[in-house]
Amino acid sequence: MEIITNSFSNFDVIKIDGRIDSYSAPTICNTLDSLIIDGHFNIVIDMQDVSYLSSSGILVFLETHRKLTRQGQGTLILTNMPPDVYSIIEVAGLENVFTFCDDLQSAEGRFQI
Amino acid sequence: MEKVTKKFAGNYRNLAKISDFIIEITTNEGFSGKDVYAIQTAVDEACANIIDHAYQGENIGDIIITLVTFPKYIKIIIEDSGTPFDPDSVPAPDITSPLEIRKERGLGVFFIRKLMDEAIFDFSSPKGNTLTLIKNKRS
Repeated sequence: MEIITNSFSNFDVIKIDGRIDSYSAPTICNTLDSLIIDGHFNIVIDMQDVSYLSSSGILVFLETHRKLTRQGQGTLILTNMPPDVYSIIEVAGLENVFTFCDDLQSAEGRFQI
Repeated sequence: MEKVTKKFAGNYRNLAKISDFIIEITTNEGFSGKDVYAIQTAVDEACANIIDHAYQGENIGDIIITLVTFPKYIKIIIEDSGTPFDPDSVPAPDITSPLEIRKERGLGVFFIRKLMDEAIFDFSSPKGNTLTLIKNKRS
């Protein structure tokens, strides 16, 4: 699993490549936590190259979403969702909890001033 | 009927190898891409639960996976020698409750039961836990 973070003026894009499972989820959690600690609250996760998402990964996204909701600012957007990966979020009943965008451009458009 | 068994050390790094093993066999057996993904998820969640709950840590014991293929279904037997795992002790996620009070700890077991046609959890001493999963082929 690889993580590439690109920072823009008022949002960050995290591109994840590979599996999000119990092995890789803690690394992703640390990346997201670091962004929030540094005051970066608008986060786009590019899921295009994610081959697998387990419950441990879903919980990391849920926890990040919660932290942003609790502090009343910032948004977590999941974009470029592979159909199999999106379907597991539907099985979990979380499709209305997260914010999804079809592609990176529309996700970035949400944050552009 | 064909049967293949593989043993993996119980650690998180091996989850990818276990998935590769499952994907290869189920794809060769003619399962759809969607069903291959579902089976992969159920097995991955089961193995992560073994490390988390039965062994309560990495590299404490092995995970033995046996795949038995039949014309109309596949049977997957996952064995460990850890402490008894009672799936009923894990609260099911309440997906209808407000976000802040969701209990999502049982999401892995929820996926296993939801994605497979049968999931039978069993424990016998001194053998350990045995999880038997069945996935039918769709016609």
